[in-house]
Amino acid sequence: MAAIDIPEVLKFIDSTPPFSGLTSVQQKHLLGGVELTYARQGEKLNLEGSRATLHLIRRGACEIRSAKGGLVDKLADGDCFGVSSVLEQNPDGLQVVVLEDSLIYRFQKDGFQELLQESEEFALFFAHTRTSRLRKLSRAHATDLATPVLQLSTSISQIMARNLITASVTDTVQQAASVMTDARVSSILVLEKDRLVGIVTDRDLRSRVLAVGASADIPLSDVMTHAPASIDSRSLVMHAQTLMSEKNIHHLPVVESDHTPVGMITAADLLRHQELSPLLLINQINRQTDITSLREVCQQLNNLIVNLILTDMKTTDIGSVIAAISDSLTRRIIELGIERYGAAPFAFQFLVFGSQARKDQSLGSDQDNGMMLSQEPTSEQAQYFAKLAQFICDGLAQCGIRSCPGDIMASNKKWRLTQDGWKQTFANWVEASSPSSLLNASIFFDIRCVYGDENGVTELIQDMQSRVAKTSLFLATLTRTATASKPPIGFFRNFLLESSGEHKHQLDLKHQGLALINDLARIYGLGCKRYHVATKDRLEQAAREKLMGLDIARNLMDAWDELNELRLQAQRQHWQTTGEPSAYLDPSELSSLERKHLKSTFAIIADGQSAALQRFARGYA
Amino acid sequence: MPKRIFQAIDSWRERREEQTKPWYEHSYFVLDMETTGLDPKQHQVISLGWVLIENGAIQLDTAQHLLLDSAEIDDVSVGIHMITDSDVMEQGRRHESVLRYLRQIMKDKILVVHYSPLELGFLKSLWQTQPMPALAFDWIDTMQVEMQRRSRAQEVIGDGGYRLPACRERYGLPDYPGHDALTDAMATAELLLAQVAHFNDHAPSLQELVRIGGGRARLSSNNKAP
Repeated sequence: MAAIDIPEVLKFIDSTPPFSGLTSVQQKHLLGGVELTYARQGEKLNLEGSRATLHLIRRGACEIRSAKGGLVDKLADGDCFGVSSVLEQNPDGLQVVVLEDSLIYRFQKDGFQELLQESEEFALFFAHTRTSRLRKLSRAHATDLATPVLQLSTSISQIMARNLITASVTDTVQQAASVMTDARVSSILVLEKDRLVGIVTDRDLRSRVLAVGASADIPLSDVMTHAPASIDSRSLVMHAQTLMSEKNIHHLPVVESDHTPVGMITAADLLRHQELSPLLLINQINRQTDITSLREVCQQLNNLIVNLILTDMKTTDIGSVIAAISDSLTRRIIELGIERYGAAPFAFQFLVFGSQARKDQSLGSDQDNGMMLSQEPTSEQAQYFAKLAQFICDGLAQCGIRSCPGDIMASNKKWRLTQDGWKQTFANWVEASSPSSLLNASIFFDIRCVYGDENGVTELIQDMQSRVAKTSLFLATLTRTATASKPPIGFFRNFLLESSGEHKHQLDLKHQGLALINDLARIYGLGCKRYHVATKDRLEQAAREKLMGLDIARNLMDAWDELNELRLQAQRQHWQTTGEPSAYLDPSELSSLERKHLKSTFAIIADGQSAALQRFARGYA
Repeated sequence: MPKRIFQAIDSWRERREEQTKPWYEHSYFVLDMETTGLDPKQHQVISLGWVLIENGAIQLDTAQHLLLDSAEIDDVSVGIHMITDSDVMEQGRRHESVLRYLRQIMKDKILVVHYSPLELGFLKSLWQTQPMPALAFDWIDTMQVEMQRRSRAQEVIGDGGYRLPACRERYGLPDYPGHDALTDAMATAELLLAQVAHFNDHAPSLQELVRIGGGRARLSSNNKAP
């Protein structure tokens, strides 16, 4: 008896695409030798050897994760996995983890491969699954900024123009030209019985009519391109792009399967569409030659961020994307400054502090930066750096990265120092260890070099770390300062917070949540032997060096992710409705589950704070 | 005589060693029967459905659904199973060939059923209908396994809570509307996989499974085999 003869198997296969589209002979063939397995929650499925084959979830839920553990896809009843392990030996090292106990069909590899050859539709289904997973995979890679893929896999129908400009084959060239002029389009679709038979573009009118002196009364059928290339409305942007570059055309009609035109896509549409990809934005930034044009390019930045948030990109990835863009922008402005004021008299580094250093900027982040000079400048050289720094900070502000209200900017003479000057500054903070001096200095301890030789900055960090290690009072003071603000645990009980001003009864996700975790991570990070600047890296390092329990570290990392996600979503909403990237959250907009989550998130921060007090501030109270 | 004792001891030791291997190194014959009633002494088997578990997975191609001839079909079982006399006539197999087939497949496999008193009872009475060579095998009852597990976890399960669909529901297994012998055999096989997966976080040996919900049985015929 074959598996397909089992009523329950047949019923399921028959109602699950793409298997439902197969003939019964094909179904029977595919199901030859099929096995049914049961996998328990938390199990990592083996997809090697004979198990490198197509799997179908009968009941349950699984996750596909990248080799580094990033979430690629979530699967449930009727979803398949293991396809890339069949076709390409799983080049991306994808893993399948069982989320809920699952019943899973495991097909024979041979039957599956034969069917891929035999049925184009069946093969296309899996090719599509594979592309969409790859797209998600690229989102899962923290370092992979190749988000154009993300844009390219958008459906054509989302970006095509739908107001069709059409003519009939019997219309004259003159008639068509006047319709095109009225509609201000550069091409017209030629239809016969509602079906697409040709296309005429501006260029055709030029080369096939005007250039050869043809009459304006000849019918369109004489000048049109017959049976033009077209694309199915279900295709992806990348297909359109490939087709257009292959055929070297700039107009691509979009049709249904029966050749009824439903839209038009032009090279310009594609370009415009792609403007919102991070990589392209970075390319554009690097190509601009003055601040005015840079500023124009950067106007897309906030929309880009909103898009990234909308596409559910992971928050740490959004942070790295924004950091990559701000770093490029900063470097480009420095280059422009150097073009303007001439080469620097000696080497220097441009330092960023705070969120840009930690790579967790969001909409509307401020600039916090400084300069490190490789030698003590003469007054003339000092003037050069003053002008350059002013140019950079103004440029950044014009491009949307607001000036720092606390004036922590390279344009402030205080923050243009030699390496020794910086070392001394940090030494003063560390050794004075007074709460008041640390209050505004803490963001300097999040430091990254975006321009110039990194080694100088690494040395500075090492010097600072060794002073911290020698001065235990410093971490004690830092801990007490940082833990002075408590997470709003009682918030949901009595709505106590921010009881005055515009944001009354609202939750400030940044200052009452994220900043507290950033502060904790900084304390532990500085206590570690190895310096990291990103909050999650610091927590991980602290757990690795056993300064912090693995549980607390993981909980804090999860809490950070959760708050960051809430903050980004809140900011996006405010941005889209008011144009202001406010990170305030109205608790009445939360579901009870979300509130519960948020409550436990705050409890985690409180636990983290008491653990930090225990470890660093004991005896200094 | 001593030789036979040694042989018996050897085979016993061999079996015990076999039993300490992890469960997935054994083959399982998962069986369900449709009968005309609940008493093996009075009622008859109408059909048998089975599927094999090998290498820890249900081998769907091994599924079988056989109807037996000479079963008296009453209105009640027509109602439950939608099997009529004409089905039996058309698809029915001769008892003898079915039993030989069954014996051949069951050899060296562990029998798995849900509620062993009934299924073992009917198997025993089937064996009485024909002159058959004897057959000894280990068996596992998914209902007993379930009762043991729940009582060890001190869970209280109400009336009807050990019926096949109720047991399956606790493991999140899908609800199968059909109740023919094959579907129920499939359902029992899935239940066993689920139970094994939930076994104290390690893959149990056959011995452990038999100990909590199984035993050993011997089918023999009064009529001596020819």
